[in-house]
Amino acid sequence: MKNKGMYLLLLPGVLFLTLFLVIPIVMTIASTFYQEGSFTVQGYFTFLTDPYNLKILWTTLRVSLVTTIVCILLGFPAAYYISKLGARKKGILLALAIFPLLTSSVVRSFSWMIILGKKGLLNSSLLSIGLIEKPLEILYTPTAMMIGLIHLFLPLIIITLVGVMENIDPDLLKAAESLGASRFTAFRQVILPLSMPGLIIGSILVFVGSLTAYTTPALLGGKQGVISTFLYQNAITLNDWHMASVIATIMIVITFVVIGLMNKIATKLNPKG
Amino acid sequence: MALLTLENVSVAYDNQYILKDFNLNIEKGQLISLLGPSGCGKTTTLRLIAGFLEAKDGRFLFDGKDYTRVPVNKRNFGFVFQSYALFPHMSVFDNVAFGLRLRKVSETEVKQRVEQILDVVSLGGFEKRFPKELSGGQRQRVAIARALVIQPDLLLFDEPLSNLDANLRVNMRVEIRRIQQELGITTVYVSHDQEECFSISDRVAIMNKGVIEQLDDPATIFKYPKTEFIARFIGFNNFITFGERTEQDGEIELRVGGHRFAATHNPGTANANAKKCAMRPDDLIVTTEAQADHETNRLPGTVKISTFLGRSYQYVVETDLGDFTVNQEMETPYKSGQTVHLLFPKDKMVLVD
Repeated sequence: MKNKGMYLLLLPGVLFLTLFLVIPIVMTIASTFYQEGSFTVQGYFTFLTDPYNLKILWTTLRVSLVTTIVCILLGFPAAYYISKLGARKKGILLALAIFPLLTSSVVRSFSWMIILGKKGLLNSSLLSIGLIEKPLEILYTPTAMMIGLIHLFLPLIIITLVGVMENIDPDLLKAAESLGASRFTAFRQVILPLSMPGLIIGSILVFVGSLTAYTTPALLGGKQGVISTFLYQNAITLNDWHMASVIATIMIVITFVVIGLMNKIATKLNPKG
Repeated sequence: MALLTLENVSVAYDNQYILKDFNLNIEKGQLISLLGPSGCGKTTTLRLIAGFLEAKDGRFLFDGKDYTRVPVNKRNFGFVFQSYALFPHMSVFDNVAFGLRLRKVSETEVKQRVEQILDVVSLGGFEKRFPKELSGGQRQRVAIARALVIQPDLLLFDEPLSNLDANLRVNMRVEIRRIQQELGITTVYVSHDQEECFSISDRVAIMNKGVIEQLDDPATIFKYPKTEFIARFIGFNNFITFGERTEQDGEIELRVGGHRFAATHNPGTANANAKKCAMRPDDLIVTTEAQADHETNRLPGTVKISTFLGRSYQYVVETDLGDFTVNQEMETPYKSGQTVHLLFPKDKMVLVD
């Protein structure tokens, strides 16, 4: 940039974020290493040696990972289809896709409770057509959490993918085919790598969103805890703010590791993306 | 026998025919251009040959085999896109190697053939660059190399030069012609630029509304357009529609509104009873001399507009057969309002449908 003064435009945003995001996060992280005035890693040691905590951590990662993968599998074809449409149809379908994001997560989770419950819509339908003999236990399991989270986050991956895919020149696919590639090969070698930036951003949004989601797992997961509900429990119920900060720090670390890994995959698949 | 034959082919979008009962034959080793205004069906024809579009009716024969239902990836035709369509995530080398790797060519041979073809398009040493790092002309040459390296049975160009600036366009078309002749590869070339088509083609097909109006070598089309549409398209902008036509000793006499014109038989392809004549502005003569000249047809008129074009003057002359445009070099130009005579050399009167 030629005009150094342009950087001043960033100032209000940077100031706000520093004051209300960066400083609190740094303070939270710093507080995990101090207890009663001296340096300690006891909090991390306690957390990571308790099998109960590790199980919660594992459940959280598993739910987030499955949610992300299912979102990719469901979102990728849908996004590809939408990206090929004319402006009008595209607008309508994108608006429909975004709909879940516009409803309150409490309302949405309660709807899923009605559908997935022991005497819910799903079980009563399956029972009445004789597909199952006794109600399925879905509600208050990780599966229910995943369903709720997929419903919540599918729009994110669709939107980011459509944004990237509609900028891919449709002639590229034709070029690949004219050079001898089957539809599938052309898709794998051209469309997929070129969609990678959208796929990575979408996946990060979904994974981090699932990792930190609170309402959906709290309502649909029942006693089955995830890390965010566990954090809340430590802070509010047990009033153990030190442990809550440790958990928060671990969540931040996981987030950064995931983003780093995803970026590594992205550069490998699309060096010039 | 022709290498490529389109037989009564029809293509339609939403019941709107772009091509109907379309026929085309292309000989081996030729470069044939499809030329016409936008919407004439030239790109549709090309995409049909490539396999990007499916014919509703008709057959497409290639080298004696029925290709109508053969999918794009099994045709072995090279296609050069207007947008170049280079894979942005691959280097020049990988772009060119794409087709070879799909053909399971060994990596040593891939390397050798890619380097060889990059030399042909004068891009040796650019292997590691990415499309983003190349100029328009270089991208174009990568696109050509990528289409050529698979040793295609047919090479297809879709307005390949329209995104380049004027100078580069002239260089590239010479280059395309050179490569095409060097490799002796049958080529179909689509453009809306007539100079471009005429300069590089063995034959030009001029299309209008989904029909080929004339398919000839460039010189013949340039001299003897078959229809009024083609005549207008290539710069004949004076027309006279006659009422009567008689023929005697190879000489044609045409009459309209009390005027008699003579025209020589031209080797043109218009119908034997065509009564319309087309004339280029460069071929008509404006004169004030009253003396009779039996060899030429003449028409009295008035100069309506006189414009300086640099090398010549352009006059619009009003007559009782309408306005005529004439380009003529003159030391002292005619003025607006001046009474003149228009001369129509009889060998420059081209009969068109």
